[in-house]
Amino acid sequence: MGDSVASVASRGRTIEVDFALVGHQESWRAAADVLAVLRGPEHTPLPDDEIKDILPWIPPRAVCHVDVGSIVGAKARGLYIDSFIPPDRLEAAYVHENIARVRGAAAYAIKAGAKIVSLGGFSSILIEGNFDQLPERHDTVFTTGNTLTVGFIVQGIKKMCALEGRNLLGSTLLIVGATGDVGSGCARCLAPIVRRVLLSARNLERLRRLVAELQADGIEVEIGTDLQQFSAEADVVICAASLASPSLLLGRIVSHAIVCDAGYPKNLSPRAEMPGVKVFFGGLGQITGGLRFAPDFHGVLNRHPFPDVVHGCLLEGMALALEGRFEPFSQGRGSITQERVEEIETIAARHGIYLAPLYNANGPVKGGLHCQWERSGG
Amino acid sequence: MESLIGLNCSAVECTSLSPSALIWQDVLAQAMTGELVAAMNYTSLSEICDDPEQVADALEHAEGERGHAAAFAAEGRKIGVDVSNNVDAKHWKRLRDAFMRCITGRDLIGCLIVQEIMLESFAVASYARVGKVAPGSLGKTFASIAAEEAEHIDHAMAILRTERALDGQRFDDKVYRLHLDVMTTLAEMLARECKHGHCEVCHGSCVKPSLSVVSLSAAELRGASLQQYLKTLDTLGIPGEVTLAWVTQLPV
Repeated sequence: MGDSVASVASRGRTIEVDFALVGHQESWRAAADVLAVLRGPEHTPLPDDEIKDILPWIPPRAVCHVDVGSIVGAKARGLYIDSFIPPDRLEAAYVHENIARVRGAAAYAIKAGAKIVSLGGFSSILIEGNFDQLPERHDTVFTTGNTLTVGFIVQGIKKMCALEGRNLLGSTLLIVGATGDVGSGCARCLAPIVRRVLLSARNLERLRRLVAELQADGIEVEIGTDLQQFSAEADVVICAASLASPSLLLGRIVSHAIVCDAGYPKNLSPRAEMPGVKVFFGGLGQITGGLRFAPDFHGVLNRHPFPDVVHGCLLEGMALALEGRFEPFSQGRGSITQERVEEIETIAARHGIYLAPLYNANGPVKGGLHCQWERSGG
Repeated sequence: MESLIGLNCSAVECTSLSPSALIWQDVLAQAMTGELVAAMNYTSLSEICDDPEQVADALEHAEGERGHAAAFAAEGRKIGVDVSNNVDAKHWKRLRDAFMRCITGRDLIGCLIVQEIMLESFAVASYARVGKVAPGSLGKTFASIAAEEAEHIDHAMAILRTERALDGQRFDDKVYRLHLDVMTTLAEMLARECKHGHCEVCHGSCVKPSLSVVSLSAAELRGASLQQYLKTLDTLGIPGEVTLAWVTQLPV
């Protein structure tokens, strides 16, 4: 178990920080749980309306210390820094305010002396094409963490196909949000090993550039912005769009399709009716060498039905810290390749960071509990 | 309600005033009371300083705060309201008592923490918010006093950082003790509703529910004040995860 808030106070200034994880909460419920831990059991939880009043005013700052262990004995110490982006302000209208918050969180990580910083959730989305907007970096490097996220999405797809007795080579793959860093990385890894590739995104120009790149490698792909048409044709779907809230409806999706929701916040609307479809949450890894929060935020910062499960984007920074490789592994948009995915998967696996057990909103996926590391290569 | 400053103006027939004037009247009354408490605090501080330069500084600050109080009174007159004050109102008295406990202990650092870190954070942030929405010279006065109060914080920061460098743990423990005392009171003042009865400064019923009429809200003033407080504590070097827990544990 972790320490109380009070006992952490005296440790705050003495710990050397290997890594920092910059994140935000994807729902008000999650934000409320974080504040409840900070308030402690002796205080009543804040009412929801008070939380909505207070949270937007909190400047970016550390919430807790994070200790991570490796199966080969390495240890790394870090901080979880919340940018405190309000969960209902993730849409484009707040982009400048949110970039300022991520910059503030990045500055906090630099001041704390973090050697490597993983930018989680919207933090990476905001910065992945705007690294010049980060504060002056000194000895701190930044990674979006997207390469390991791609690795775990691809591993999850393969695992799910195996569970369902599906041959990926004969599948039609649809990637929603294909031009984003994660979406395009998935396309590069999976396009060569499926029968047909459908790419969907809002920005047609970016889609065309991605198509040109894949075609140069001899891969035929189809693009479109009519998601409903594509969803009726695909039997494997990756949802990796940058959505402010879970709002995606795949109304015409085929009944036996496999769907990986890899968004943060989640892409799929809770109202989406997809009978017979096999959904799982993708991009998640599990630490097997030990994970400790101080104060104890287990199950609060990582709200998953299995222990020590963390988003791939944050795990990338931890894995690199355990490896002692303090380098900006994932930067920019559209540079994630099969080779880089394999490289970060190898590093992660060396330290006992594997694909997380598969689960969805209803709980664990049947048969998806025993996860073994599989390379994402064809 | 005892008034420390003689305003030398006639009583105003409130019923003839616009709703916003009555709201500004209460906002000004709170601000004026805060300035007078600050003036009293600096005067008390001058009495425990050994260094003549510090004594002069404290007295100069006291005079400055009285000037701010007078400026708020003058702004009230301009909009036709009588701005009263009550340094013995329950919240303000508790804040004054907390400061006086530091005086009694001849705790100069404690005095600076209470006045410059806690009370001035509240003043700077809330005056700045009021300055953005208040019309004409009223807004300008709040904004310019907010800027002057921010200079007070800067002035104290160098002394406090030096003190923290000597023994960080002891310093942070002291800030936390004072936080529990002072910030709890400020949080109750800034809560959406006054849960413990009338504040004894507002003229009629509590002004907070009416602040939306002048494009303000109690939540906004509280949020801005706590944000300023957290940033000031960051500048002192107290770990952010520690101060975050302090603030989230305050009453609402």
